Parts: sequence; C-alpha cells; structure tokens
Amino acid sequence: MLVWTRTGKAVVWIAFALVFGLLVLLPFLVVIAAAFAGSWNGVLPSDPTGDHLRQALSGDELASLSVSLQTAFMGGLLAVVIGTWGAMAAYGSRFARVADAMHHLPIAVPSVVVGLGLLVAFSRQPVLLNGTKWIVVIAHLVLMVAFSYGTVAAALQRVDPSYADVAASLGASPARVLWRVRLPMLLPAISSAAGLSVALSMGEVGATIMVYPASWRTLPVSIFALTDRGQTFVAAAEAVVLLATTVVLVVILDRLRGRAVER
Amino acid sequence: MTVQLEDVTVHFGNKHSGRTCALEGFDLSVAAGETVALLGPSGSGKSTALKAVAGFVRPTRGRIRLGGNDVTDLPPARRGIGVVVQQYALFPHLRVADNVAFGLRAARKPKAEVSRRVGEMLEMVGMTAYGRRFPRELSGGQQQRVAIARALAIQPSVLLLDEPLAALDAQLRADMLGELQKLRREVPDIAIVYVTHDQSEALALADRIAVMRDARLVDIAPAAELYAAPPSAFTASFLGGANLLPVSVDEGAVKVAGAVVPGLKPEDGKSLLCIRPHAIRLEPPEPANAVEDVARLVGRVVAAQWRGASSQVTCLVDGLADVVVRVDVPADRRVPELGAAVVMVLPVEACSLVPAEVG
Ligand SMILES: Nc1ncnc2c1ncn2[C@@H]1O[C@H](COP(=O)(O)OP(=O)(O)OP(=O)(O)O)[C@@H](O)[C@H]1O
Ligand SMILES: [Mg+2]
Repeated sequence: MLVWTRTGKAVVWIAFALVFGLLVLLPFLVVIAAAFAGSWNGVLPSDPTGDHLRQALSGDELASLSVSLQTAFMGGLLAVVIGTWGAMAAYGSRFARVADAMHHLPIAVPSVVVGLGLLVAFSRQPVLLNGTKWIVVIAHLVLMVAFSYGTVAAALQRVDPSYADVAASLGASPARVLWRVRLPMLLPAISSAAGLSVALSMGEVGATIMVYPASWRTLPVSIFALTDRGQTFVAAAEAVVLLATTVVLVVILDRLRGRAVER
Repeated sequence: MTVQLEDVTVHFGNKHSGRTCALEGFDLSVAAGETVALLGPSGSGKSTALKAVAGFVRPTRGRIRLGGNDVTDLPPARRGIGVVVQQYALFPHLRVADNVAFGLRAARKPKAEVSRRVGEMLEMVGMTAYGRRFPRELSGGQQQRVAIARALAIQPSVLLLDEPLAALDAQLRADMLGELQKLRREVPDIAIVYVTHDQSEALALADRIAVMRDARLVDIAPAAELYAAPPSAFTASFLGGANLLPVSVDEGAVKVAGAVVPGLKPEDGKSLLCIRPHAIRLEPPEPANAVEDVARLVGRVVAAQWRGASSQVTCLVDGLADVVVRVDVPADRRVPELGAAVVMVLPVEACSLVPAEVG
C-alpha cells in the first residue's frame, strides 16, 4: 500500500505503532518490569529489587537453564544433522515427496500430541526412555527436524547440481564431493537451520511438558510451574533469563552464519 | 585420446513426469588433437551429449569409448575428462587457486607439485594475479578462464566445453574466441568437444562441425565443407542463414520461379536451391546482357535492416508465394527503396541444391 500524503503517512505510522506497541512490545516490557518488582499493586510496579533475578539464577532454577541449554544443543544440533542428511538423501529421489510430507508432520501436528505420542511409545519395553532426559531431547529433536529439513531442502533446490558433477569430473570421490563441495555450499543454510532450531528449542513447552521427568526440567517448564504456583515475579525473572540467553545464542549463531556466507 | 559415441540414447524422466528423449541414436567420433563443435538450437541435446561423455548422465542405450576403452559404466571421477559447464560452476567457497588445485588435491598430488601446476595453469590463462580472489570477485570472462584452468590442471586427454562464451557480452566473446584459439595450440593433443549454438564460434574453432536438431545428429563434416555445400536444408539455414528456394526441373534444367539457373545440374531428391545472403547481388530491373552465369529473379523489396557493415534486405520473388529472400548489401552499395522492384542476381558458383525437409 502506498500512502502519499503527510497526514496519511502519520496515521499509518501511529496505527502501526499502537498495534505493535500494544501486542508485541508491551508484554515484553511488563515481564521485564515484573522481574525487578518487589510488589505490583498499583498501575506501576513498586519496590524495585534484584532478588527475583538472583533467585532465578540459583539452585533449581539455574539447573533449569543448564538443562534448557543442553537440550537445545543436543536436540537442536542433532535435528540439524538429521534434517540435513534427510534433505540431501531425499533430493532428486523418487521418495522426495514422501520424505517432505513425513518431515512436515511434526509441524502440522500439535506439539502436545507429539509429546503424548512419544510418552506412549517409549514408556514400555523394548525402548524405555520415559523418566530419562533422552525423551525430552528426542521430543525436541522430532519437533526441530522439520525446520532443519525444510531450510536445507529449500537451499538444495537453489544449488545447481553441476557443482557436484564438475567436482566428480575432476577426480573427487563421492565422499570428497560431499565434504569439500556439497556441504560447504550448504553451510549458510545449515547454520541458519541451527540457529532456528536452537532458538525454537529454548522456548519449547508443548511437548516438553508431556514428557519431562523431574530431573530434567527445562526453563520454560519451570516458568510455567512457577506461574502455576503463583510466584509470578520469579517466573518473570526467569523469563528474562530465558529471553537474554536465547538472544545471545541467536546472535552468536548468526555471526557464525555471516562468516559462512562471506567465505 | 579418441572419444567415441556409438548409438547413444538418453531419456529423462519417468512414467509419471513424462519421458523426454534428449538424445537419440547419437554417433560421434573425435580424434586426439581434433576440435569438434556440437552446433544446434536450444534444447537440441547438445549439453546432454556432453554430459553423457563426462558421465553426468547415464545413457539409456549405446556405448561411450575413450581411447578404445568402454567407459559407459565408469563414474565421472574415473574418466579423466576436463569439463567446463555452461555457468562455469566455480566452487564459490574456494579461492581461485584452490579451485584450480581441486582436481590435483583429489588425486593426492604432493604439495609442491600442486602449487607448481596451479601456477602454470593460472599463468596460461593470464590469471596469476587473481589466485587469492574468490570466484564472485571475478568478471564473467575471468571466471571462464579459471574454469578452463581448473579443467586443464588435471591434464585431461579430453576437454568438454559447454557454451563457454554464452554468458559473455559481444566484445568479450570476440576476445575470448581468440584466446581459445591460442589455447588450442598450447594443448595440441587434446580432443575437444565444443558445444555452442553460435555458428561463428563453431566456424572459428572447430575442425569439424556436428549439427544437431531434436536430439539427433543432422550432419557432420569439416567446417568449410559444411558451409560451402550444406547436405541438408536445416544445416544450410542454421549455419549461415542460407536462403532456400524451391526449384523445378524442366528439360534437364533447374528453374527457380521460372528463371533458369544456368549450369546447375538437377539431382534426384534435391528440390531446394541454397544460396547465402552475401552471395546475392541486387540490381535495378533493367534488361541485362546475358553473358554471366547467373540466374536472375524479379521481385521487390519488403524490408531493410541496417547492420553497420552491411544492410540486410528482405525481398519477395514474383511467382513464389511465402518465400522471402534475404540479401546482404555491403555498405558501399546503394540500398533499394522499400517496395522498389529489383532483380536478384544469383551467381551459379554460389548455388547448391539440398533435399527438402521431410515432415
Ligand atoms: N535433467 C533433465 N530432466 C529432464 N529433461 C531434461 C533434463 N536435461 C535436459 N532435458 C531435456 O532434454 C532436452 C535436451 O536438453 P539439452 O540441455 O541437452 O539441450 P541443449 O542443446 O544443451 O540446449 P541449450 O542450448 O539451451 O543449452 C531438452 O528438451 C530438455 O528439456
Ligand atoms: Mg546446453
């Protein structure tokens, strides 16, 4: 939409600022304010304090952060490996359509259902994973694989197959073509898939809440539990920790990707 | 090493997506030291023929031999063929020198030899100063040189070039054509297959030209021969844009639109007269002294295009519906007005007969 008049432009900007501010910015600001509030009885919070943040960074809550990071790295990165592998294997094969559909199943199905499925499937012999951290990691892996697969498959569509052909004609073995040509050329897509997977994994609740054992509680689940128990301020402080950690991770991964693109 | 293709047929696709036949019963033999150009319109199967030789596609039928050895079932890595593809495909994540070194490293050559050979190759294509650059920091012509250096670094006995000049502008293309001729002299023993849809490239570089159409080989002959006496109507018009005029045979004489072509012998099954646009002369419609060995066609001018060094004049011939004759008029001659009546003078030595198209 093109708006030419000055007032028209102003109206559009104000409308946008209102919607964006109310729906996107305000909740963030409120969470941050709550994290540092000793009490919140009036319109604005009062008694500023760092106690909640201190609490959020100690004991069980700190353990939650560590659990979330480990889960994100194991699940997210494993998802990238499997997603890349799947996309490259399916590329150009007769089963590409089927593989596409299979990989998008976890996006189409609500994450709670994915969690329930895993719980039912792995609660009994022969594969008993219920009660271990692995069921959480697997839940994240299943959910993130779809994104990695999609990102890498889209990038593959844009890479001319003649690169691999030429590399082979120069005498390179299939393994060499893979490691020296195909994977390096996909590196930007792979690292962006990694960033996306890790970020999504840091915030995942739906499936996690179905499967997590007491010993492996991720940060979002902790936030949920704290809120449930009425400890809203500590939950808010933890949300701030989650937010900061995710932003830092995404920025670092993005830097790495920038470097990969430059090369 | 000699390259031989015997009855090579390539199909793409499957039952569901529909099958395309990209190459059908293709026979070709290229000797060591020879350059053969594959010339044909877009989609005629030129690249597919090249890919079959390189091993990028597997023929549905037929055999491919290198130096007498059957390589049809060998993967590309074991064929030792240098390939330059249409868009060069320089590895974007590797520097120019590493691109050129790629094949040598794949063959696990010692470091010293790799760097020596990379230096030689870059020097040969005049890119020594660019070894540290990435491909995207090069112009199209420079990328093309690097692609050639990379292909030649592995000392192949066969070099395949797929439209190496197609992505360049006209000026650069002319320069690179000269460079390719020079390169040919530097690697005298290599068999070169050169794919192009540009007839001037084919004429400039090739010893023999193979004309392709609809997945098939139409004609193959030494370049000069193919130009002077094209064996088919398609080759005649594709290579040099010849005019094709229907002829009739009357009492042993060949006639075009009622005018006798003196001295041209009728041949069985050949019903088209082929003449190049630059061989025809335009004259004002005046009675001429009939001493020359020429055929004179009366007609009028319907279009004229100025092209700098010459003008291309399109004429209709009286008595021949739907046939246009294109005539190149050199810049120092007068171009007749649109609609003017003219006489087209066809010197007999420039005329030949070709069979009409079937189908
Ligand atoms: N991978 C493929 N899958 C399906 N069909 C293909 C494939 N590659 C080529 N074809 C078809 O095969 C035919 C010949 O293609 P080819 O690339 O050999 O043409 P070409 O002569 O090189 O044309 P150009 O001058 O445009 O490069 C075309 O009809 C094309 O559509
Ligand atoms: Mg082609």
